[in-house]
Amino acid sequence: MSELETDLHRHGGIGHEDHAPGDEPHESVGHWVRNYLLGLFFAVVLTICSFWAATSHMIWAPAVPVAIVVFAIAQMGVHLVFFLHITTGPDNTNNVLALAFGVLVVFLLVTGSVWIMYHLNHNMMPTDEMMQMQR
Amino acid sequence: MFGKLDWSAIPFNQPIPLITSVILILGILGVLGLITVKKWWGYLWREWITSVDHKRIGVMYMLLGVVMLIRGFADAIMMRTQQAVAIHSAGYLEPEHYNQIFSAHGTIMILFGAMPLVIGLMNFVAPLQLGVRDVAFPTFNSVGFWLTASGALLVNISLFVGEFSRVGWLPYAPLSETTYSPGVGVDYYLWAVQISGVGTLITGINMVTTVLKMRCPGMTYLRMPVFCWTTLASSLLIVAVFPILTATLAMLTLDRYFGFHFFTNDAGGSPMMFMNLIWAWGHPEVYILVLPAFGVFSEIFSTFSGKPLFGYRSMVAATLFICVVSMMVWLHHFFTMGAGAAVNTFFGISSSVIAVGTGVKIYNWIFTMYGGRVRFETPMLWSMGFIFTFIIGGLTGVLLAVPPADFLTHNSMFLVAHFHNVIVGGVVFAVFAAVEYWFPKAFGFRLHAGWGKAAFWFAFIGFWVTFTPLYILGLQGMTRRLQHIDVEAWRPMLQLSVVGVAILIVGVICQVIQLVVSILQRDKLRDETGDPWDGRSLEWATPSPAPFFNFAVMPNVEGEEAYWGIKQRAIDTQQLAPEPDYRPVEMPLNSPVGIYTAFFSTVTGFALIWHIWWLAGLGLFAAFIGFVVFAWRDVHEFEVPVEELIRVERGRRAARDAFLERIRQGEGAPS
Ligand code: HEM
Ligand SMILES: [Cu+2]
Repeated sequence: MSELETDLHRHGGIGHEDHAPGDEPHESVGHWVRNYLLGLFFAVVLTICSFWAATSHMIWAPAVPVAIVVFAIAQMGVHLVFFLHITTGPDNTNNVLALAFGVLVVFLLVTGSVWIMYHLNHNMMPTDEMMQMQR
Repeated sequence: MFGKLDWSAIPFNQPIPLITSVILILGILGVLGLITVKKWWGYLWREWITSVDHKRIGVMYMLLGVVMLIRGFADAIMMRTQQAVAIHSAGYLEPEHYNQIFSAHGTIMILFGAMPLVIGLMNFVAPLQLGVRDVAFPTFNSVGFWLTASGALLVNISLFVGEFSRVGWLPYAPLSETTYSPGVGVDYYLWAVQISGVGTLITGINMVTTVLKMRCPGMTYLRMPVFCWTTLASSLLIVAVFPILTATLAMLTLDRYFGFHFFTNDAGGSPMMFMNLIWAWGHPEVYILVLPAFGVFSEIFSTFSGKPLFGYRSMVAATLFICVVSMMVWLHHFFTMGAGAAVNTFFGISSSVIAVGTGVKIYNWIFTMYGGRVRFETPMLWSMGFIFTFIIGGLTGVLLAVPPADFLTHNSMFLVAHFHNVIVGGVVFAVFAAVEYWFPKAFGFRLHAGWGKAAFWFAFIGFWVTFTPLYILGLQGMTRRLQHIDVEAWRPMLQLSVVGVAILIVGVICQVIQLVVSILQRDKLRDETGDPWDGRSLEWATPSPAPFFNFAVMPNVEGEEAYWGIKQRAIDTQQLAPEPDYRPVEMPLNSPVGIYTAFFSTVTGFALIWHIWWLAGLGLFAAFIGFVVFAWRDVHEFEVPVEELIRVERGRRAARDAFLERIRQGEGAPS
């Protein structure tokens, strides 16, 4: 029972395998440099793609927003993997769960608010009609 | 030089605030003088103010909460008496003053009374139950506490310097915009809540990390006591929704200070968006308060029934269910704002669905008592009173969650009765039960049982005599927040409610007497064994009062109800577990960074309220310096020598040996 004691303070008791954001596994410097450069490359390519999609006429006009959303989601994925080092490994369960919880909260708040506010306007008398009544 | 601040800010011509604040200031000076004369400053500074011990911080949180509870209760007495006399007359409070009182009452009770009490409990109890020596971020914890205290201080300064908000405990826009509230009242509210909100967020992060990462060996998730689960759920909610509050109030601040138009009527602002955002925080907030209360009752029901908690896993599931669903119901606070049938129906149903999770819990508590050997000690009385009270409160909540019914009862006294029913019956009863229950762990002696029971009965009866009339008034059509009243028919119920308040006052007096009597008789009430209630979780495995390192050796958990298992094994084999091998432990050093930061936050907040820009800049800069100095410190832990651990642990073992001896002689477990 006591081998764990000092460690408990620093790394948390159970699930030593688990690591916190920022406290990365030991790898050579080269590994990280390559990792970040690769991430930067993907991020830049995706950014250029979105600008390209918006300005060129290669894509059918109504589909442009969809394309941009797709690029944006891919961009988020790149950031998560290369910069925030979220992986699917067992040492990352807590990080993934925290991310999922955050996404859930933001999703509830945003969709809820949009829905509510949309309906409020929906049920308000249109301005011109109101004007008419005041006349 | 001093922004908007000048002598007209002091209420010389208003006798009530003036006299109150003079008495308060004299009282505070008296206490400070006493501390100086008795030379207690050194002790207070070393052992409490700079302490990073989660138990000490927990106790200070509770102290802050109790003081604010008394302040809020004074407001409540004024409101109830004003309404009882102001029928066809002006009463004794001016309208403007009355508005400040109900605003201060709500703000103080929820944010500076109930929140510190609940957070104090989580701080004190959770690490002990998890079998660890500290929270994840001890110094951060101290910062969180002092920031909360800083917010509370600002609210109370408003009594004497300037005015407090008049727009209710949630500053609904556009009423809270400068057009309609040009004074400093809303600014006091904004900065007080922002500063304490940061403190609360800190606690949330700290407790989530503590529960997830700091458990003693063997304490798997499904072996944690339910209180730890509710601490986790409540802290998750804090982390999820307090940022919404901060952002919303920041937008209102931008409106007020820089002429933005987030929530104004004109220039594209949307007051309805304020409603939406504030309740997206506001509803989860009430569950932040009540979930830990559910945890407290779970511990108490199983301890005093002498049985494991019925349906432990369903309890955990219900907790997590409530945690998620409570983020999906906020619209029930503004059904009447104009949303369509689809929206109202969705949120009406989701609100009622929460009652399912709560119902599961209530049945579990009842089944825990069923077939158990129930001991009617004071904590148990509060818990049984809670079941009765909370069921009624929950049912009226479900009624309010039916949109057509809510169109009739919204903003009526019925609503006021509903939320007092759940908050007093749920949260406040839980806090009183918890104080009775864990007091010996904090101070080494129990509270006097007789006075405790008297306090319960007065509070319980007083509560119902105060709030049943409010339900009736609401159904008769009385709206909330009336400064004076023109309907003769409401007189009897309003007066009956004052009778209830008088009974509640007797209850409060009983609590005070209980404390005094218990301190005087502390030798008789001493808890020798560290396990005064025949408990089942790990906090009872350490002496009372708990040593600052909590456990001399870290417990090793082998099943649910960790301590019960250890205890039964000792009783069966008639001996304690063999003496472990002791190792020195490292504990965090005290740090003044908490009170330092909070001091300058108070200064900054005060300066911002009164538009004293240079002082605000200075305060921020000083706080930053504190942060830098703290970040560069070298030593942050010290080693507790093995001898100290052995001394404490041998003392405990001797007491437990004596306990086994008593059992051998057939005396049974001490009560
Ligand atoms: C069964 C669960 C509950 C349901 C269905 C429920 C439902 C409601 C509804 C519909 C309202 C809004 C009524 C109106 O404004 O017209 C309300 C208000 C309120 N409830 Fe509950 N409630 C429940 C439990 C709780 C609990 C557990 C607490 C606190 C611990 C609480 C605290 C409040 C507060 C503070 C308000 C009023 C806020 C204000 O307008 O100032 N409720 N509740
Ligand atoms: Cu609600």
